[in-house]
Amino acid sequence: MNTRDQRICLGLVPVFGALFLIGFTICPGLFPPLSPTMTAEQVAAFYRDHVGQIRASMILFNLIGIGFIPFFMVIVVQMMRMGNPSRAFAYSYLAAAVSGGTLFALADLAWLNAVARPDRDPQLTLLLNDLAWFSFTTPVGFIITQNLCLALAIYMDALPEPVFPRWVGHFNVVSALLMVPGAFALLYKTGPFAWDGALSYWLRITTYTLYVAVMFFVVRTAIHRQVAREGRVLAEAASA
Amino acid sequence: MSESVWAGRAGTPRSAGAEARLARNPKLDQWICYWSIPFFYTLFGLIFVLFGRIMPPPSPTASIEDVLEYMQAPKLGVGMALLSLTLGLASLSSGVIVVQMKRMEGISPVLPYAYLTALAVAGVPGCLFPGFVFALGNFRPEYSAQIQQMLYDLGFLSFVGSLGCFVIQYLVFAIAIFLDRRMIFPKWLGYLTIWALVTELVAIPIWITRTGPFAWDGLLSFYLGTVLFVGWEFCMCVCLYRAIKNQPVEELIGRAAAHGE
Amino acid sequence: MWFFVIGDLWIFACYFACYMRDRARNPELFQQGQELLSQGIGALNTVILLTSSLFVALCVQATRAKDIAVASRFLALGSACGAAFMLIKAGEWYLKIHAGFPESTDPFFIYYFMLTGLHMVHVALGLVILALLWRELRGAKEPRAQFAETCATYWHMVDSLWIAIFALVYLVR
Repeated sequence: MNTRDQRICLGLVPVFGALFLIGFTICPGLFPPLSPTMTAEQVAAFYRDHVGQIRASMILFNLIGIGFIPFFMVIVVQMMRMGNPSRAFAYSYLAAAVSGGTLFALADLAWLNAVARPDRDPQLTLLLNDLAWFSFTTPVGFIITQNLCLALAIYMDALPEPVFPRWVGHFNVVSALLMVPGAFALLYKTGPFAWDGALSYWLRITTYTLYVAVMFFVVRTAIHRQVAREGRVLAEAASA
Repeated sequence: MSESVWAGRAGTPRSAGAEARLARNPKLDQWICYWSIPFFYTLFGLIFVLFGRIMPPPSPTASIEDVLEYMQAPKLGVGMALLSLTLGLASLSSGVIVVQMKRMEGISPVLPYAYLTALAVAGVPGCLFPGFVFALGNFRPEYSAQIQQMLYDLGFLSFVGSLGCFVIQYLVFAIAIFLDRRMIFPKWLGYLTIWALVTELVAIPIWITRTGPFAWDGLLSFYLGTVLFVGWEFCMCVCLYRAIKNQPVEELIGRAAAHGE
Repeated sequence: MWFFVIGDLWIFACYFACYMRDRARNPELFQQGQELLSQGIGALNTVILLTSSLFVALCVQATRAKDIAVASRFLALGSACGAAFMLIKAGEWYLKIHAGFPESTDPFFIYYFMLTGLHMVHVALGLVILALLWRELRGAKEPRAQFAETCATYWHMVDSLWIAIFALVYLVR
């Protein structure tokens, strides 16, 4: 299997990752997060006062928002190499990654629209703000499914040299569980579950960042091993 | 990454453990995905019928007081939070159906991949987005009545009226069944799929009218469609069960990977 | 195929039942809407579709008699009639949509568009099925009479549905 494109897609991860982090940390309403308890007028005033910076970050996110899809597809390809009886988990992973990717794009569009007309009815700006935060925080189901599919595939990998080590499976399960609180941000305006709270915001974002970083190294090693292994197999076939 | 962190396994207890488990139940991965389907649909029923009361839907012509009362119901928010948490499970059903579709003879991978992507696309505008919309109205009672009503309309219209993705899903599935020489799925399921497709077409008028049998709560656009869909899903589950069960174990690729390489 | 035909007829029967029920509730509204439809065009379409069914039946007969050239000719004629039906219907729709129908509160026209639209989808599918029959007639060494019969069954079903729709929507007062 040609691994060059896999390595290119993998190489995109630190690039997009860095851009995400930059865009994230310079965005006033995003980091630190706006409180759900702000009134319509306060939210509208906030977007009016920080138009430039918010817009810059959001335009950046617009461009790189789907940036991790190639990375997830590398994982799909690695899953297809595993000794699972069928590719069901790989396909499920793909479907979940696709569905999940659209939501960040939706959040980004909602934020960009929120800053677009400073003189509109504050309630409408509040609506866009809420839609953006919901789309950003709550659809954890897709990433949870992705992680669980990967974990299950790893546990069932019956190859003599499994593609990923077992602890990666555990890591995926734990990361998935840590994301669960995000879904409940729909219900709370204050407290740890609210979209600016310790669980739904800080824990979730830290977990996701750590997840991408760790998986980057894991996948990199897996690809190196794939290349080494295929080299060995070819050498054995040639000498046979 | 150091070999010690990686290893502990080559040729070893872990892969032997996985092999043993798979020897007992060779199609375990497909079965896990399969059983997620009834699990998911039960949850779906709870979320949409009991918690959200989205099905059966209230009327498009409800008074503004009824709309506000509907949007403020506390169970609606809980239902939508559960939906956000669990919608990903639908991907598992796509995964196992695609595996079975790829076994068909007489089609290229195009049809299974089209099925996968159609369903992956369908999830957000057709299900999660309406969920967010209802959650938005529920979250902020202080939105004006007009905005609440807009959210009410947006939610139901998006949920009942997301037609195209499912049309494509049913279409490629039916085409695959009719072209398949191996009869992985029976032909009558193909006919049922065409009817399911037709129910999507019958839902078109919900975008035009707010009363009568073709509104989003109408006898034809909603109820007949939902009944047919439930029937189709049930038959699909039965046929999928048979397809997985009848799949010869020799076909499983993991075996080739584990033994042949 | 009979499974499909019977099921399809049954589903349409449900639609017709709903139509009759709503018609009983709003007799004047439905009457008014009906008067705006052209019975002439409806009748023309009925004749065209009946003729096409005749051609398809003749095609099946010829296939059984292994007279492929004749069978192909009848099939072509039958398909042409089917295509003509669709064109005329499309024209009728265009005129109505241009005139602003259906209005959101007008149940008659929504029924009209839905019933005829659903029927058109069936006709389109029928043309695809007839095209498959054409391929069979031209391509296969021994074109199967049974396949021709199956395709014809579908086409006759489409025709019967149209007759029911024509009667209910255009004629019944």
